Amino acid sequence: MPPQNQTGDAAAERATVRTSAERAADHAALARLADTLVPALVGKLGAGSLGEIEIREDGWAVRVRRFAPGAGRRASDRVADRPRHAGMPGHTGPHAPHAPAPAPAAEPVATPDGPVQTAALAPVVGVFRPGLTVGARVRAGDRIAVVDLLGIPQDVVAPVDGTLVEILAQAGDGVEYGQAVAVIEAAAPKPAPAADEEN
Amino acid sequence: MVSRILIANRGEIALRILRACRTLGIEAVVAYSEADRESLPAMLADEAICIGPADARRSYLSAPAIISAALVTGCDAIHPGYGFLSEDDAFADAVRAHGLTFIGPPADVLDKFASKAEVRRLLAAHGLPTVPGSGLLADEEQALAEAALIGYPVLLKPSAGGGGKGMRMVRSPRELTAVLPICRSEARAAFGDDSLYLEKWLEDNRHVEVQVAVDKYGHGVHLWERDCSIQRRHQKILEESPSPAMSAAGRKELAERAIKAVVAAGYENVGTLEFLVDGEGNAYFIEINCRIQVEHPVTEMLTGIDLVATQIRIAAGEPLGFTQEDVPQRGHAIEFRINAEDPAHDFRPGAGTIERFNAPGGPGVRFDSHAYVGYDVPPYYDSLLGKLIVWAPTREGAIARGSAALSELLVEGVTTNIAIHKALLVSEPFLNGKFTTNLLDRIGSAAFLAAAERPG
Repeated sequence: MPPQNQTGDAAAERATVRTSAERAADHAALARLADTLVPALVGKLGAGSLGEIEIREDGWAVRVRRFAPGAGRRASDRVADRPRHAGMPGHTGPHAPHAPAPAPAAEPVATPDGPVQTAALAPVVGVFRPGLTVGARVRAGDRIAVVDLLGIPQDVVAPVDGTLVEILAQAGDGVEYGQAVAVIEAAAPKPAPAADEEN
Repeated sequence: MVSRILIANRGEIALRILRACRTLGIEAVVAYSEADRESLPAMLADEAICIGPADARRSYLSAPAIISAALVTGCDAIHPGYGFLSEDDAFADAVRAHGLTFIGPPADVLDKFASKAEVRRLLAAHGLPTVPGSGLLADEEQALAEAALIGYPVLLKPSAGGGGKGMRMVRSPRELTAVLPICRSEARAAFGDDSLYLEKWLEDNRHVEVQVAVDKYGHGVHLWERDCSIQRRHQKILEESPSPAMSAAGRKELAERAIKAVVAAGYENVGTLEFLVDGEGNAYFIEINCRIQVEHPVTEMLTGIDLVATQIRIAAGEPLGFTQEDVPQRGHAIEFRINAEDPAHDFRPGAGTIERFNAPGGPGVRFDSHAYVGYDVPPYYDSLLGKLIVWAPTREGAIARGSAALSELLVEGVTTNIAIHKALLVSEPFLNGKFTTNLLDRIGSAAFLAAAERPG
């Protein structure tokens, strides 16, 4: 078997000890996953407010995760997508294809001799609703709160791996685009190689 | 009742709306993009709220962001200014659905007046002469047949959009066949709507528009006309009133026909009807703008009526409160659009920091601008930096005041088009009032500038 990527290797390993009937069943399951399940999950994720969906079935697990806050959420864009804008100053063409909306960027703030703190920013203008509580461990990209944009929750995501140390907005507060709403303290630096040897 | 307005626009018009709010005792919140954080309207407003990044599609063109900003700042109305979402009926409808007042025509009125081809038909039925033209073009075969009927040259125009974008003059069937698919894809890309129609091309014409205001109760007045014939590639750069091309009787008749037709057709709020006027003084209706216009101060100087305040009061459900007899046409007003662009280099738009700045003053001089020393002109939006408006009892007097004011106007750090205005004020066609929309394009702006610099 030629070298493959990690996932391929695992599948190949399993396949080599299976009968051809089992292999056929696997192929059928793969095809079903690719053709039906994954698009359905992506659709569900795009339409709703979830950040991640995982399905387990038999020996398979499929996890679909939203990549950027706001991306794929277009339910409320209908009104913005209508034609007939006057070509007056300011007009930039509302019908250019929508790129996935990047989140506002956060600047990490290093306290002297202390851990690095990075603000999590509101991805849209709207009403703040807290999610995780102070002390929660988070990975970069995890949802830590939401901002309601006309009733459609938009994820406030952790900009870095670390610990949620402060929430800057109260439930129900109006927040503007790019406003700092929470603070993440970066996870302790990875243990040095010397530390590894001690284990 | 309107007590707190979200201003969903930027630059000089955001400032203009803010000023109208202040005079009406209405609080104003300015919605701004990240690129406009340091802008004058954002700094002067009662409150300012960031609605998105510099990209207008995610800020000034994002209906959800704007409505959400109005709700979280406790506003009860939204003023869209011009451009952006100002004539978007779906936006107006969404604003209303969230319990807010849209400062402009109601959604159903915007919808009714949205298609240029449809509006031409509608207003022609109410007595306005229109340029001979076609309905929407289904295919090439129909386009060729319609063009033959109208007679070449014809103007191929997108039904959506405005500001002269996407129009092509076509001289022959062969040319029409060639540009039809190009125009269609351009219109689709720019406006999301590829409907096209044809109009007779009037070789030498003037652009004259009539300002109207109609309240919710069907009471309407016209506020006379503006002549916007000084253009560069269909973009207006200087506007004046009264039009030097029309007789007193001609402009009165045109304005009266315009207001009668729009009231009959069910228009509401302030609006502008644009006409082409040929060499014999015949006016042909071309389109209506359902919003406040850049050049509205010309009319304000002439009539003494605050159009933005009128717009807000009408949207709030108030009766107009004045009649046609209360709308004087006093003296002469000229507006010069001051753009951050370089007339010596094909009007290339400029961005940068304003290092030195002086606004002109004196009797009859008004300068509407968001510029200040240290202001970074962002590269993301249009190039309008301000508008110089002058008034005097006569056209000659207004030209003299314009000339003096332009010499006081100082902008350093970004290149502006001030030179083209100075050149216009010493050019023979402008001084004698005999010019058409192709004055600058015919000889080219560079040649025009060079001619102005030669003595005599």
